[in-house]
Amino acid sequence: MSARNRELLGLVPASLLVTAGFAGVFIQRSNALSNVSLTYGAIFLGLCVAGHVFIRMTLPYADPYMFPLVALLASFGIVMIYRIDSTLARQQAQWFVLGLVLFAITIVAFRDYRKLERYRYLIMLCSLGLLVLPRLPGIGYQANGAYLGIRIPGLFVFQPAEFAKIGLVIFLASYLRDTRQVLVMGARRILGITLPPIKHFGPVVVIWGVAMVILVVLRDIGSSLMFYGGLLAVLYVATSRLSFVVVGLVAFALGAWYLGTHIAHVHARVEDWLHPFNSRLYHAQLGSYQIANGIFAQAAGGMFGQGFGESVLTIPGGGPLLPAPQTDMIYAVITDELGLFGAAAVLITYLLFVARGFKTALLARDSFSTLMTAGLTSVFALQVFVIVGGVTRVIPLTGVTLPFISYGGSSIVANFVLLALMLLVSDRARRPA
Amino acid sequence: MLEPVSVGLKFGFLIVLYLFLLWVAWSALRDLRRGRGGVVQADQLRASDATGMYDAAAGLADPQEGFEPRLLVERAGGHEAGIAYDLMNGATLGRGDVEIRLDDPFASSRHARISREGHVVVIEDLGSTNGTYLNEQPLTGPQPLHSGDRIRIGDCEFSYLQ
Repeated sequence: MSARNRELLGLVPASLLVTAGFAGVFIQRSNALSNVSLTYGAIFLGLCVAGHVFIRMTLPYADPYMFPLVALLASFGIVMIYRIDSTLARQQAQWFVLGLVLFAITIVAFRDYRKLERYRYLIMLCSLGLLVLPRLPGIGYQANGAYLGIRIPGLFVFQPAEFAKIGLVIFLASYLRDTRQVLVMGARRILGITLPPIKHFGPVVVIWGVAMVILVVLRDIGSSLMFYGGLLAVLYVATSRLSFVVVGLVAFALGAWYLGTHIAHVHARVEDWLHPFNSRLYHAQLGSYQIANGIFAQAAGGMFGQGFGESVLTIPGGGPLLPAPQTDMIYAVITDELGLFGAAAVLITYLLFVARGFKTALLARDSFSTLMTAGLTSVFALQVFVIVGGVTRVIPLTGVTLPFISYGGSSIVANFVLLALMLLVSDRARRPA
Repeated sequence: MLEPVSVGLKFGFLIVLYLFLLWVAWSALRDLRRGRGGVVQADQLRASDATGMYDAAAGLADPQEGFEPRLLVERAGGHEAGIAYDLMNGATLGRGDVEIRLDDPFASSRHARISREGHVVVIEDLGSTNGTYLNEQPLTGPQPLHSGDRIRIGDCEFSYLQ
């Protein structure tokens, strides 16, 4: 079976899932099985097939599993968001379409994605600019103490960090492609630690220092962990020096400790994480209410979950039982309704996607492609880790989206661009010479 | 009344989901077993094709048997160690737009050329800035290659096999 036919076959289960999911929600809602669920499944299948036909025409050798895996995640997202709020689901579906359009544009515009290398400093400046935007007066807005997005009144809310992550990875990949050998060969050993030469390493430190400062100013620790991890991953792939990673992690730990003890907003998050069931924190404004109820929701799911639409998200008298269920806590809602097995399936889907990403990085024939793909894959994986880790209380909860599942326009659109870049690399790598 | 349908849908959903994931995982596993995926297979295919064509063109079936000059990657940026490039039609190495692209700051854009005449494969430096090394000796003019020779450009190392 050819790669593209396998991709087409892979879309069938995704649409079956949408149909089954919507049917389940409908039954619970109106106690009647409606054929609307079939319509939703068919529309979803139609959109995915459109995306597939586009890939078939433009990238015939690209990895056949990435797109179906993404379709699966998106179908999960649509079903869950519909179950939480049907108007949000309609918007999410519109964002999904826009994401597919941008996916197509990226593939056409960056057919030879290596030309991105020529604009690396421009891309870097734009990414840093995007990171600053939310702090600008007038358009920036604050959510739970962090400056996450910008709001154009009456139009949309936009999270620039989602796009900045792609830009910064492209910059790093292209910069390190040129300097990685110098970094390794010029390294000196000081006190038993191998340090890279400051002249060539300087720009990386400066860029990331600026990114970190901005993130501290924006108080968005989840994204900063994601960016920093992405930097270390690209650096490690480029130089294969574990010492750079160790030094980086130590620096990050020091920074995290400082933030956790000195910045009130972050400190509160850490306290909520350590003692979510403490009654003072539980009842506090912006306290551990969300995280603790997330844990209860996941526990209520059991092995196989309560079924679609069965979980309780609002208190009968009004008010949310689980705040932000469509974004931060969507993983908890999935666990509640589909149980351990459903949640594990979501994580396996991400894992397989990441495996395909690293495989593509290995197959790529030039080091810019390898570094870019490895970087994008790492950032994607870290984003999943940050939010799932937050919801399951492995690390303090911060607001990043669960890629392709969470509600949010910028997240889904940016991740489609990321997918387009990975498929472009994959197509070039797997093309017979 | 619709309770069993609802429960059935939930388990149906989970079953379809896991079957799909198993399918992807199984395919990925098969991919791994088969070797290194599309790229290298393509190279191997090309090598055998080229040999076949050469045989036909030369019309000297017998002495050509088993003559398969190739360049084995020992370590080179952008190439997987252990793969081999077919040299039946020669190849140019360098950092620019050539047959074998080297990701190496010490490589020139057109660095060295390997060409074949009958059973003799010759390497020559194309006036590169940092030189080409054959068995750690800098190349001065065209040199014939023998099986097992090592070729180094900057940090990239290849060995020649036939």
